[in-house]
Amino acid sequence: MKGNQTGDMSRHLNLLFTATANILRNKVRTILLILCLMAVLFPWITAISISEGIKFQSLLSVEEGADIYVTSDYFGSNGPIPLDYLDRFRKMEGVVSVFPRIVGRAYFVNRLATIVGILPENLPKSIHLARGRTFLEKGEVMVGKGLAQEFGLQPGVRFSLSINPSKLLKVMGIFDADATIWSSNLILMAFDDAGEFFKMKGKATDILVYTRPGYGSVLAKEIQEAGWDPPLRVQDKALVKRYFQRGFNYKAGVFTALYTVAFALAIPALLVISGFGQTERKKEIGVLKATGWQTQEVMEMVAIENLVISLTSAPLAILMSMVWLKWLNGAWIAQFFIAEIGLMAPFPIPSRFLPLPSILAFLFAVILTMVGSLYSTWRTAAVPPAEAMR
Amino acid sequence: METIIRTEKVDKVYYRGKPEEVRALHQIDLEIFKNRFVLLRGPSGSGKTTLLNVISTIDRPTEGFIFLFGEDVSKYSDVGLSRLRQKRIGLIFQNFNLLPRLPAWENVSFPLIPLGVMEKERRRRSVEMLTQLRLEKRIDHPPEQMSGGEQQRVAIARALINDPDIVMADEPTSNIDAKSIKTLLGILMDLKGKGKTIIVSSHDPVFLDYSETMFLLKDGKLIDIENPNDFKCP
Repeated sequence: MKGNQTGDMSRHLNLLFTATANILRNKVRTILLILCLMAVLFPWITAISISEGIKFQSLLSVEEGADIYVTSDYFGSNGPIPLDYLDRFRKMEGVVSVFPRIVGRAYFVNRLATIVGILPENLPKSIHLARGRTFLEKGEVMVGKGLAQEFGLQPGVRFSLSINPSKLLKVMGIFDADATIWSSNLILMAFDDAGEFFKMKGKATDILVYTRPGYGSVLAKEIQEAGWDPPLRVQDKALVKRYFQRGFNYKAGVFTALYTVAFALAIPALLVISGFGQTERKKEIGVLKATGWQTQEVMEMVAIENLVISLTSAPLAILMSMVWLKWLNGAWIAQFFIAEIGLMAPFPIPSRFLPLPSILAFLFAVILTMVGSLYSTWRTAAVPPAEAMR
Repeated sequence: METIIRTEKVDKVYYRGKPEEVRALHQIDLEIFKNRFVLLRGPSGSGKTTLLNVISTIDRPTEGFIFLFGEDVSKYSDVGLSRLRQKRIGLIFQNFNLLPRLPAWENVSFPLIPLGVMEKERRRRSVEMLTQLRLEKRIDHPPEQMSGGEQQRVAIARALINDPDIVMADEPTSNIDAKSIKTLLGILMDLKGKGKTIIVSSHDPVFLDYSETMFLLKDGKLIDIENPNDFKCP
């Protein structure tokens, strides 16, 4: 029994070494196959990494943000909310602090910038001042690093935006943030300034409510059901998190679905490359069978060859994806997930490499190579050797 | 005399039922005894190679029975036939069928791979076999760097690496020169001297003086048997 096991182990080891030697011997076929697999896998790995990176940053922002966001309900959509709600919310049990915020968008030259009007004391902790200082006086703003770099903005520079050209703004600070995607194109200004800028005095786009631990969902429900006129839209942290997750999962899903089509189209190409030198292989299989190899041994050797190629291709595709993100900042692929960034993003594209997509990449590679060669090998190995060698 | 191979009414039909149907073998009945030098003879297209393929189990008959070592191998599974070839049959092909990128010793040793013989031992046995066939200087050479005669000797070494009971050679003189033919005959006779059964398919008259039994084929039919006494058990 022990002898049999040792023999079996030696046989499997022999097949492993032979398969590896075959891969090294058929260099052209191996390199072509690996390159083809990398070309198929790396855009998908890059896309999923970007999606995961953005999702992570979004969730960080949500985590750092308020417990409840309240807006007016305008025909089922978010609408501006009058500031007199601030005091009403402050009086509710469990509320720690309440402050208003204005979030709007305006073109800065050709770049769509997000303008946030906020009280200086409510600036998020994730924002780091890179240069200058925060806004204190009327007309003072802080701009995100990406926007500053793109347009050469420095503290002291004055500018105006087309939406309200009469209002002159002065850059006082340049900031960076943990969530690059949100901070890059951001212009932060005092809440009152933003109200003036968007001509929305006495209103906010939303009111941020911070609660004591455990009060978030209870208070959200209470505000929702209080019967305000006009009615309010309330979103608690959990709901916002779900929106983000769902949104990114949906985008990643759409990308994966689109990619599956491209992937399916790539299969015939891989079949051709896998079958590269198939006539020679057919004859080789015939000779192996004629000299005593069994079909399952031939199949095992070919499967190991594919496994080794997949094990090489998948990490190389991941490596290429890392290079693509680090040196080319996710060019071409990132624009699918982040609107209006163009081919090359002006800020560092967030990314996260998780184990699951890496495992999936390896599985894809295995499936592709196996589909490409195992069936044809089996067909050849299952016929009498004389026929395979003919 | 011990019967080692027997066939009963073996037919081999290619493209059966199609307009291009070819009846390569027709009702072949033969018996081969152990430790004989057997020649399958006949003109081109007579069915020599097909018969050799069928009795060596690398092809299956369309009809009929093949008994090897007393067992009906027509019923053997693919695995069973592979095992049989691995342990008891050594094949030398007309065009040698060496794997082009492998050095001589690896070409000789690959039948040992599924037996679990590790590389060091495989090389040792292959080198020993190649040395016996006077190929010690060609051990690490790939087939394209060898002459036809040398390639054939590598193919012989591969056929013998598992110490088979039967050695079968298909048209072994068709791709080698006169000197190599002489060497080949020496090797085959030496193998016969070691108790192996030798079966050669060839139309080359060079084997006539060496063969003890000759089956003459024409149009897929067995038309003559030389040394018919061999067929009658004493």
